Amino acid sequence: MKSRFLFPYWYRYLGWGLFLVHIPIVLFRKQLGFESHGPDDGLLSSQHVFFMTTTLLMAVGLFLAAFAKERIEDEQISQLRLDSLQWAIYVNYLLLIVSLILTNDTQHILFLNLMVPLVFFIVRFQWKIFQNNRLLKRDGDLR
Amino acid sequence: MKNNIRVERAIKNITQAELAELIGVSRQTINTIESNRYVPSTVLALKIARVFEKPVEEVFMLEDED
Repeated sequence: MKSRFLFPYWYRYLGWGLFLVHIPIVLFRKQLGFESHGPDDGLLSSQHVFFMTTTLLMAVGLFLAAFAKERIEDEQISQLRLDSLQWAIYVNYLLLIVSLILTNDTQHILFLNLMVPLVFFIVRFQWKIFQNNRLLKRDGDLR
Repeated sequence: MKNNIRVERAIKNITQAELAELIGVSRQTINTIESNRYVPSTVLALKIARVFEKPVEEVFMLEDED
């Protein structure tokens, strides 16, 4: 079974690179000259540009890291990927529904909605791969 | 579904890694199939049976609950 629409293996490093780059920018936003709430809150104001660039860096980074090929792409990996995607969508919608009921802070709901599926997917997928590797070490006899 | 890949491998004297390479999957996949945690597709099952030069029913067999 061929996995289509996946990025080459090394894109994961590019993805993590982009994600790591966005962290110091967010942490040192004041020093970089981006106020959290400036007087100009319109389109393409410094706040909007800041939000746009950091969010794009984060989202694209996570996206590339999530959907890069594994070293050996086979049907079992595809199955794990599909399974993890289903979990990620379930968790995302559960959180979305809960947050819609409990708050009307739409900006943070949007932000949560942007991150949760990808982060949960990556964590769950990599955890399953880690488990398989551990089981292989434990009972993968060579003869 | 159960299988006797482990036995067939022992008869043919090949490792999980060698079998994995012969059919183009990862060692992890062979290991999960052997320990009944993953059910392979028909294509993969046929490929495995071809390595052992046996019909697929002699390598994979249904269980009562299937």
